[in-house]
Amino acid sequence: MTAASPATRTDRLGEVGLTWHDSGQVSLRGPLLALLRDCDRAFLALAAAWRAVDEVHPALIPAAALDRVGYLDSFPHLANFAVALDAGDANLEAFRAGEPVDPDGQVRLTRLAPVRELLTPAACYHLYPQHEGEELGPVRYLTTRNTCFRRETHYQPLRRQRSFQMRELVCLGAREQVVAFLDRARTLTDRLLRALGLPVTWEIAHDPFFRPAENPQRLFQQVHATKQEAVYGGDLAVASVNLHEDHFGAAFSITSTGATASSGCVAFGLERWLFALTDRYGPHPATWPDVRAAARQALDEAAAP
Amino acid sequence: MLRTDHDAPEVRATLRDWIASRAQDADATPALDGVRLFEQRVLTSLHLPELILLIERLRREPVDVTTLTAADVASIDAIVARWFAPGADR
Repeated sequence: MTAASPATRTDRLGEVGLTWHDSGQVSLRGPLLALLRDCDRAFLALAAAWRAVDEVHPALIPAAALDRVGYLDSFPHLANFAVALDAGDANLEAFRAGEPVDPDGQVRLTRLAPVRELLTPAACYHLYPQHEGEELGPVRYLTTRNTCFRRETHYQPLRRQRSFQMRELVCLGAREQVVAFLDRARTLTDRLLRALGLPVTWEIAHDPFFRPAENPQRLFQQVHATKQEAVYGGDLAVASVNLHEDHFGAAFSITSTGATASSGCVAFGLERWLFALTDRYGPHPATWPDVRAAARQALDEAAAP
Repeated sequence: MLRTDHDAPEVRATLRDWIASRAQDADATPALDGVRLFEQRVLTSLHLPELILLIERLRREPVDVTTLTAADVASIDAIVARWFAPGADR
């Protein structure tokens, strides 16, 4: 493991495709972009173990959909809203005439159109409204990837970003099916991490709720250990395994053989895998492991008697 | 380890009534005592803080939520064994 300072690390990774933006975001190209794509293919290979159906969803998600599952109550501090100017001609003219951006880069907004959408906060939030009212049968496996947005108090390249890539594998069905999926997903994820030589510890975790002491979801998550994270380097969660119970199934009337469906997901933060891999193996692509081969190894090991 | 001064049958009855008043399809009968309250979705996450307050009221002592586990509140049987049975850790 290298001991490079964050600034030095970012400089070194600049040579293999990283550009860090003050807004808390990265641009990727070249070897690092290829590595990110390989990581996603590896996660898709894991998803194929369940024949998970891949879905692509937009960057924006209706606030009303998130409100139905309590997101705006639990995480208002993380929310990024999609805003646009009121389309009235006079309003647009006033905006244009008023020097739209000040010297600090702040936009001088005039009247806004009603805000109805957020930038996606987690990839799987799209799946539940998409399947609203459906009867899924015994079990359904899905996967999706999206650019996700979180407003944080600070940002670090590849570790904590305003926008980042998230791949999720989701199981909807009877509770026992979901629990079995999460158990196997955790095993496969752990095998993948081991095949890559990335040491992690699995820890019981919780989401960063606003005013956690007042939020029953936070207490439930703690007591029932519904969220577990694979933690690299002592403080970086590269994957999480989450049991939602019937939270989403009830909110969107999704059923499994007649009963409200339970759900669970395993989530991978792609940039964080880049951090872990380049932290472990350094900034030179020649020393990086073959991520897709590691996924095949993990699947082979899991299939072995 | 102290013997509780509360009467477990009364505690069970109070817990059954409370749960039945909040859950769909749950009757306040002894058959409810072994039901896995959260696993079987008799109660949801929203009920947990209220349930802890009820346990605190019944035992007249605070519950340390930092050490609370799912097993402690899994069922009426589990709650009574954990908080109210003779010899239960108080």
